[in-house]
Amino acid sequence: MNSLSTGRSPWLRRGCLMGIALLYVASVPWYREAGAAPALLFGLPDWVAISVGCYVAVAILNSVAWLNTDVPDHLDEASSPAPRDSEAN
Amino acid sequence: MDFGIWGVVALVAYLAALVGVSEIARRAKEDHSPTDHFLAGRSLGTFVLFMTLYATAYSGNSLLGYPGRAYRDGYSFIMATGFMMVIIVMFHVIVPKLRPIAVHYKFVTPGDYIRIRFGGEYARYLRIAVAVLMSLALANFLLAQLKAMGDVTEIVTGGRIPFELGVVGLALVILFYETRGGMRAVAWTDAAQGIAMLVGLAALLTWLLSEAGGLEEITRAVTAKAPEKVAVPSHTVNVNWFSTIALMGLASVLYPQAIQRIFAAQSGQALRRSFAGMTFMPLATTLVVTLIGIASIARFDITDAVDTDGVVPMLLADWGSAGGLATAAALIVFLGALSAIMSTADSCLLSLGSLLSRDLLGRDGTSESDTLLGKRLAAAILLATIPVALARDLTLWRLIELKMELLIQCVPAFLVALHWSKLRTGPVLLGILIGTAFSVTLTFSDHARLYGVHVGVVGCMLNVAIAVVGSWLPERGVKLDAANEQA
Repeated sequence: MNSLSTGRSPWLRRGCLMGIALLYVASVPWYREAGAAPALLFGLPDWVAISVGCYVAVAILNSVAWLNTDVPDHLDEASSPAPRDSEAN
Repeated sequence: MDFGIWGVVALVAYLAALVGVSEIARRAKEDHSPTDHFLAGRSLGTFVLFMTLYATAYSGNSLLGYPGRAYRDGYSFIMATGFMMVIIVMFHVIVPKLRPIAVHYKFVTPGDYIRIRFGGEYARYLRIAVAVLMSLALANFLLAQLKAMGDVTEIVTGGRIPFELGVVGLALVILFYETRGGMRAVAWTDAAQGIAMLVGLAALLTWLLSEAGGLEEITRAVTAKAPEKVAVPSHTVNVNWFSTIALMGLASVLYPQAIQRIFAAQSGQALRRSFAGMTFMPLATTLVVTLIGIASIARFDITDAVDTDGVVPMLLADWGSAGGLATAAALIVFLGALSAIMSTADSCLLSLGSLLSRDLLGRDGTSESDTLLGKRLAAAILLATIPVALARDLTLWRLIELKMELLIQCVPAFLVALHWSKLRTGPVLLGILIGTAFSVTLTFSDHARLYGVHVGVVGCMLNVAIAVVGSWLPERGVKLDAANEQA
């Protein structure tokens, strides 16, 4: 089953997954001065609010990615490597 | 009537309902095969699949251990929302590849994939090594749930049901409904338990926010009491944040009970939709329990780390003692928390039974006797775990880390093997043995982290390197294979 017949876009999926990777890097406050007293944003320390914002965005992108993922129910539809015949029990 | 007595009444009513569901599930059984008992005949549709994935993923660790850790660490534990979400991201690596193979070969356990994927003289040992790692991780997970059941029951019932009775009694109830109803009983009760958990947590956070005067007031109160728990985290904490995301993301997708739900799904479409919804659940659950733990910093003074796992039950006892609607709401949260714990424990137990009988003992048939063996093994493991659970010397968070450091060593055998057909049996086995020995040795010599990175993650990198480099030596491998064939 190809992506045209299912309406799912592998490109959109890949773009979402790349966006998720970048958001994870941004979610950790490595770029801030350690021990600094933060300002408040939405009632949270600002670095926490940024992390939460990143994770909300990750959730949205990941949901879109899953909706654009093919999960085949038959082996011939998948690109999975076949079991190794030479070593199969 | 005080809150503790209401707690006992709610508990008894809840357990009776669970037993009723198990009876309905038993009657719905199509046959007595392992596939029907352990995978509900591969019949789980989108809603039940979503709820059972949710209730299984969010456990006593999430409901008690995470607030305890947030109480100890403060806002830096917001990382938990990220690492719970990365699990659903990492399923992209495994689900689209594994699902069709699992359907084609009618897998029941993760070891069935190892049996089909890897051959040669080391295949049996690899299957055993993976099964041992997964069984140890599951037994550890089960242990954490039993401890959590005892804690929450003792505190919420005001000591009327002591910790020991809570552990033993609830373990026996789980054993009863899991043995009778199998995966159907587990999945159906998970669905109800997941709803109770969501409603309960939302109610508890709402109460905490209204009591404190809003999120901003909570942050100000924590700043006044423990400013280091609000300040920008140190470099070491940030490294640990990345490391925890890697550890949880790579290891959690290898939970046997999660892998078995990939097998148990009615269709690939049901899986796709379930994961699309699951990705939002850390925001509704992990973020909420983290904020509950942080809000507790200003309310309680707890010095012993093990006791911090009790912040949620302590909050419930406080809340429930107000009477009226507060008591009713606190009871819903109590049942929600207990549900989360029991739903994870029952899934662990079900997986353990199938793993031990099929992957360790090689009973991979389809008869009723194979199912019965799995049930008996699960019962034996549960009874053996109870005495360990009664010793209260480890935090729930430490138990989570120990489990993940074992599970992550299975990465080459699944995540790499699914995507790289040249991966060979011998190097994978060698990698697992060395990676596990490295992680376990350092963990038990009090070096749980190297420069902030979990030793399990370092062991996994070593493990993957051995598996990949070893598989990249084709000529030697071919010669060895040829020699083996001649022999």
